[in-house]
Amino acid sequence: MDLVQIGSYTFSSRLILGTGKFGNTASMVDAVRASGTELVTVALRRFNREETDHDLFTTLADLDGITLMPNTSGASNAKEAVRAAHISRELSGSPFIKVEIHPNPQHLMPDPIETYEACKILAGEGFLVMPYIPADPVLAKRLEDVGCASVMPLGSSIGSGQGLATAGMIRLIIRESTIPVIVDAGLRSPSEACAAMEMGCTAVLVNSAIAVAQNPPEMAAAFAEAVQAGYRAKAAGIMPKSGSAIATSPLTSFLDTTS
Amino acid sequence: MNGLPTWLTNKKASDDIAPLLRNDSPVSLESLAAEARAITLSRFGRTMSLYAPLYLSNFCSSGCAYCGYASDRTTRRRRLESEEVRHELESMKKMGIHDVLLLTGERTSAAEFDYLRRCVEIASGIMARVSIEAFPMNVNEYRALADSGCTGVTIYQETYDPEQYRRLHRWGPKQNFLERLEIPERALQAGIKTVGIGALLGLSEPVEEALRVLRHVRHLSRTYWRAGLSVSFPRIRPQTGGFQPEFTVSDHFLARMIFAFRIGLPDVELVLSTRESPAFRDGMAGLGITRMSIASRTTVGGYLEPDGNEKGQFEVNDDRNTKTFCKALEAKNIEPVFKNWEPVYNGPNTESEQTG
Repeated sequence: MDLVQIGSYTFSSRLILGTGKFGNTASMVDAVRASGTELVTVALRRFNREETDHDLFTTLADLDGITLMPNTSGASNAKEAVRAAHISRELSGSPFIKVEIHPNPQHLMPDPIETYEACKILAGEGFLVMPYIPADPVLAKRLEDVGCASVMPLGSSIGSGQGLATAGMIRLIIRESTIPVIVDAGLRSPSEACAAMEMGCTAVLVNSAIAVAQNPPEMAAAFAEAVQAGYRAKAAGIMPKSGSAIATSPLTSFLDTTS
Repeated sequence: MNGLPTWLTNKKASDDIAPLLRNDSPVSLESLAAEARAITLSRFGRTMSLYAPLYLSNFCSSGCAYCGYASDRTTRRRRLESEEVRHELESMKKMGIHDVLLLTGERTSAAEFDYLRRCVEIASGIMARVSIEAFPMNVNEYRALADSGCTGVTIYQETYDPEQYRRLHRWGPKQNFLERLEIPERALQAGIKTVGIGALLGLSEPVEEALRVLRHVRHLSRTYWRAGLSVSFPRIRPQTGGFQPEFTVSDHFLARMIFAFRIGLPDVELVLSTRESPAFRDGMAGLGITRMSIASRTTVGGYLEPDGNEKGQFEVNDDRNTKTFCKALEAKNIEPVFKNWEPVYNGPNTESEQTG
């Protein structure tokens, strides 16, 4: 596969993993390895410097070939997200920040206004900003304009497993975007990740579907294959859909009389 | 009783869940458990958030018939001073606790607002997350606590049945049923991020009580869209004073109630404390409950030097230490999460001032 470029970083894997929700750290690490991912996201709130046994950050930082992308999950407004980004950079040394701002802790939908404000500030400070956003084509362009490194529209709400409910909007975002478009949230099965790649997404981010599978490493490997298949299919040129029937009375016969 | 809010009386708002709670419900406990498990897994994953309570003071001015700290009990009264609070918290932190619930009785001159705020300030310097379960406050006071690092307020209505409420609150500031109903809203108006509510199960007819709690959560969620909400399921435990609950809440009913709440409130945090037995807690982990207290002491202080003779607010039923408890969770492939918060997210719930 071609490499994905984000800022000055390149990745050969197009699968990004979320690291929450796993039943234990060992299965999370096994899943990360089995997925072949090179970029994983970890919530600042799960950094636990006092007890390294329970610290997702230390565990992940020890893995070779993995770039960490801290996220601001828990932030409810731009101010908190910006502060969280600063602390994350200080602790992890990573220039990546996944901006997640959900003012409603129940459905965890991203706040477009606060997200925009935070991204503008953080991109200006040189972060590689990866915002988790509603699948809104206008917001996506606004975020591109302020210097985000990618946009991460949701397929459906976090943990819902409802797949690409926003497919139409994501297609529009991909069509208009000059930065990587990464579907984040809602994917339940590898076939949905494959579909996202066939649509032309640069990459997908998966967490719940792998973390809560009966066998997380096996599911991670399955997602990796699906992402690769979708990407190759898109690159190979997918046969167009022939949907509309040919009209029985010609639609263009008038052209014969106009010439 | 006149003046009851519509959300409390309008049974339509809980019509979807009511059939699941009836004893003669056609929906089996097993199928409810399976549905609750599926929702919990996808929304919350294989994790359990953990916290521990710290009783700051057991001075109290209320006459709650069911409470071991009611003002007519002969329990020794004391409060922790600042240094003691610090030491207790540090000792809890050594056990791995990063999320603390600070408790007091009703407002008294021994434990009033300034005292509580001081304790919150100390705690937020030590713990990642600080919540309180204390006396009702006004909006300004809640706001000041949010500014000091308090992100959660737990306040139980105890019972949503006005008649029972009147009988059980024999004297003191807690006697006003309608005023008590408003307290969670005051906290949310002040920008407290998460409000925990619940009924003390056993004080009133359990099915109707459960539905009223459910309607309360739904009302809060609609009215305060930023509100983090959690529901606890405290069952009456033996306590000093020997109060016997009028209504029995069986393990089967409590399990059914928790499953039904997970189905009716798929995103809301559901909490189970050490009032419940190890077997019940282990069994319910992964089936709807997403937050548990651990290694709890219900005496004032008690982490530093547990006093075997002192009586707490109620008898703890699950007295396993952190390590043993976590082993049980791990055996179920559930990750115990001690730290799931970051102090940068403290402060009142508001939108940012726009930077323009």
